[in-house]
Amino acid sequence: MFKRSSVLIGVIAMLATLLAACGSSTPAAPAGQAPAAETQAPAAAENVTLKVLIHQNPPMVDFMNTFNEQFQAKYPNITVDMAVVNANDLSTVTQTRLTANDVDVVDMFGFANAAQPYMKNVTAPNWQTLIDAGLLMDISDQPFIKNYDDAAIKDAGTYNGKVYQVNLGRVSYSGIYYNKDLFTANNVAVPTTWSELVAACATFKAANIPCMTAGGKDGWPIFVGAYGLIGAEYPDQAQLVEGLWTGSATWNDAKSLDMWTKMKTYAQDMMETGASGIAGDAAPGRFASGAVAMFPGGTWYASAIDAAQPSFKWGYIPFPGSDNADENKYLFGKYDQGWVVAGKTANKDAAMKYLTEFSDPANYQAFANAVGFIPTQPGATLSSPIGAEVAPYLANFRVGYEQYWVAPKGAGEFANPYASYFKPFGTFDDPQALADKVQADLQSGLDANK
Amino acid sequence: MSTLSTTESSDLRAKQLSKRGRIKWGRIGAYALLVVFAIIYLGPLLMLVNTSLKTLPDFMKSATALPTKLNFQNFADAWVKANFLRYLTNTLIYTVSATVIYLITAVFVAFPIARGYIKGAGALLTLYVIALFLPVALIPQFQLMLGLGLYNNPVGYVMLFLVNPIGIVILVNYIKTLPMDLDEAAAMDGCGYFRFVTSIVFPLIQPALATVAVLHAIGIWNELILPTIYLTNKNYYPITRGMIVFQGVYGSNWPTLAAAVLIMTLPMLVIFLVLQRYIVSGLTAGAVKG
Amino acid sequence: MNNYHFGRGRARLAPYLLLLPGFLFYLVIMLGPSVATGVYSFTDASGIQGTALHWIGFENYREFLFMGQASLDNYAALVRTLIFCFCVTTIQFTLGLVLAMLVNQRLKGVNIFRTIFFMPVILGAVIQGLIWSLFLYPLGGPLASLLGLFGMRSEFLGGQPNEAIAWVIFVQIWANLGVTMMIFIAGLQTIPGDLYEGAQIDGASPWQVFRNITWPLLTPNVNTNLLLNIIGSLQAWQLFLVLLGYRNGTQVLGYLIFAQGFGQTSGSVTSAFRQGYAAAASIVLFCLVLVIGLPVQYFLQRREEKILG
Repeated sequence: MFKRSSVLIGVIAMLATLLAACGSSTPAAPAGQAPAAETQAPAAAENVTLKVLIHQNPPMVDFMNTFNEQFQAKYPNITVDMAVVNANDLSTVTQTRLTANDVDVVDMFGFANAAQPYMKNVTAPNWQTLIDAGLLMDISDQPFIKNYDDAAIKDAGTYNGKVYQVNLGRVSYSGIYYNKDLFTANNVAVPTTWSELVAACATFKAANIPCMTAGGKDGWPIFVGAYGLIGAEYPDQAQLVEGLWTGSATWNDAKSLDMWTKMKTYAQDMMETGASGIAGDAAPGRFASGAVAMFPGGTWYASAIDAAQPSFKWGYIPFPGSDNADENKYLFGKYDQGWVVAGKTANKDAAMKYLTEFSDPANYQAFANAVGFIPTQPGATLSSPIGAEVAPYLANFRVGYEQYWVAPKGAGEFANPYASYFKPFGTFDDPQALADKVQADLQSGLDANK
Repeated sequence: MSTLSTTESSDLRAKQLSKRGRIKWGRIGAYALLVVFAIIYLGPLLMLVNTSLKTLPDFMKSATALPTKLNFQNFADAWVKANFLRYLTNTLIYTVSATVIYLITAVFVAFPIARGYIKGAGALLTLYVIALFLPVALIPQFQLMLGLGLYNNPVGYVMLFLVNPIGIVILVNYIKTLPMDLDEAAAMDGCGYFRFVTSIVFPLIQPALATVAVLHAIGIWNELILPTIYLTNKNYYPITRGMIVFQGVYGSNWPTLAAAVLIMTLPMLVIFLVLQRYIVSGLTAGAVKG
Repeated sequence: MNNYHFGRGRARLAPYLLLLPGFLFYLVIMLGPSVATGVYSFTDASGIQGTALHWIGFENYREFLFMGQASLDNYAALVRTLIFCFCVTTIQFTLGLVLAMLVNQRLKGVNIFRTIFFMPVILGAVIQGLIWSLFLYPLGGPLASLLGLFGMRSEFLGGQPNEAIAWVIFVQIWANLGVTMMIFIAGLQTIPGDLYEGAQIDGASPWQVFRNITWPLLTPNVNTNLLLNIIGSLQAWQLFLVLLGYRNGTQVLGYLIFAQGFGQTSGSVTSAFRQGYAAAASIVLFCLVLVIGLPVQYFLQRREEKILG
């Protein structure tokens, strides 16, 4: 009996030594050399490896791969080593790689949400922490900054008067995709007011067609889809945030109550049955299948819709949250990702060449087309279908509430204007009860920081 | 429905039961229960296989329907796009080396604790039990590894998996079931401590070793967040890190993802199938008796 | 100490020396960072090198435990964690034992069943979540279609919080039952066959055999499994992440801490690096697991000593 087992142990041990040996000889050797190569590279000004970190978004990754090849062809001494991580991990990996000085150029989200003077006892957002720690480079003097419009540089790139990020585009989230064929077939006009939207949904429902779909399982697509409802009540969202902090606006006043009542209709009458089980990344496919009339969501979904069903015909309109059509012309959105450069990079020269090349109007235009961003370069236009759809509203683009909002510490989990709190996505049924709970959760945080 | 473990006893018992005419019902009941569970277990996995054989538009139209025609393209895509061969090799190297080193060091920790061969064995065990409760300390651990120069280094990455308190607890519990006479007899035969542990204890605790090995290996195989943080050189990526290409923020290619998952899981399944024969073999019961 | 048989003097050092590598790994890789977490919990550390770090005493703990509605939400998560732990532990333990005994019989094909039940363990949480999200797809997914035959319908994972948590409990058990079963099988294999033979000859009933032979001799495995299930379910968060995401009314402590530590409290809102606060939250969870786990471990150890001598 011992014999059999010792043979087994022997085999395992042999296998282990073999693999362990492979493990240490092949991959470990370059590991030992890598730091040496890094330190030598800038001195010799020869071969440089530029480390780029981006988040996983298939159209962007495809574009970047093409761009990197083009860049390397132009600068043969620079090798681009681009890593892709999940969007959820981007913040953590940015933090660790910057700390380890293991990255040169990083794609960064959410250069917004700065603490305002009226906000008490809030923690600085992560990009501020990174700048304060000296981990991001001041790029104010770089010529390529001038390629971008001033508003974008100022609103999503500047801190204490210095520029740290070039923002690559805006996205809108307060729109609705609609199924052109279903609208024609059912003789429904594209809605411009809330009542028309309610009526359109009634028509579709009567024809046994689900009115709207969204990735309800993830929660946020439901409230992001209803952004137009917040926007209809509060066109100036920066002012709304200040009002909530200072007490001049509440989530349970008459204005807000109107918003909550509409959100209830949206969540319970407009959304299709079962939407609460659809994952966020499955929703564009659900819409593209042609079974649903509308899909409230951000401009970023356009490429996923087209990928799922290339021949599908859709349009995009601002969410009509108000009965006054004039108040429904705004598109709310945010500044999406941008490039930042590591503060301690040894490859500053290469990094600047990289951003200069990227910011070249032709390259930037190609990028905007690939990812479907609303451009932040004045010369660029969004020529994709979604670009044509949003073009009429671009003059009325506004930055949304969540880009200004920083919750007070101690505020409860319901302190947000989310339509997803209503059944079937959440637990609430009564707009008044929900409004009171949301305000109480917020107030609790405000009181705790007095 | 009692438990039978060795051939002799089950045969004996089977004969007796069949005499009483109860055996059939017991068997049918057991099978029925097993089949019900098997359906709950296989159903979702079959759904995964089904998904992997569809095209994306097909899947979007109807998630459940059988594919109209088998689309093996997903597997080809997964194989090429995720650089499977390379990453799979890396994963295999990490998993095997970390598991083997861990098992060897763990037995040398567990054995003296179980036997009380070291001072403070009880306290040491408590320390390991407490370790079961310890919070995940991702950032401090990162700072430590960075300080040690083991960041972005396969050796450092393997080191992260050389600790697993659960394994120690399992091994200690198991070693306690080995009779003390064994040690005495071996020592009288002039067997040293090291040789005793390696050539007698190791074979005797095979079932526990296989259990711990499988559990530990699975953890390494499926690890997602640690390679994202610790291995930034593409040459070092394990397979889980490569799978990211199929996910998206706004739309995932589920069929290809499903295909990739199946390719990724297969080697682990084979390893398990090989190891489970040793858990099942029932060698130990005999060895302990003898 | 006197029972050491492998020599004296320098030879007596062998167990210590050989234990050292494993113990060192433990100290450096596991205990060290955890202690650092404890230290961080009393600071306003951001987790970024180069930022100032201040001692703020129990401020993080005060915020987590006593500040506003957020702390009340944390207690609700705590209650949810305990319920989750209780359900998962009892069901998984019982089913694991039943399955282990079933597949440990000399039945044809048990090997296949054993493999089937263990398969989910191999997959890991992300894939387990993917599979069940597919299977529980409410629009024409397999289970939805099945329910539809009976005129029923459900939102499954996207449903009301209690239903959603019930599904996570289900998937958690589905995913980890194989481990419980395997540990029981390993135990069943060590029970000498002649004990059963003896019981047969004495004419013991199956229940008596289980009660007097199987159950007491399984004690070490019972202990291992109980402890693993309790700790595993108290710390569980991955399945909550992949199955439910961050949704009000469904978070458990483990997920709360992960989300706060990683700034994933909602889909699109950016957040701050708050290593200190996240550390305090994980120390609270650590204390909770300790308070539940240690007495259980102590009690089980005592019981084992009584039974096995």
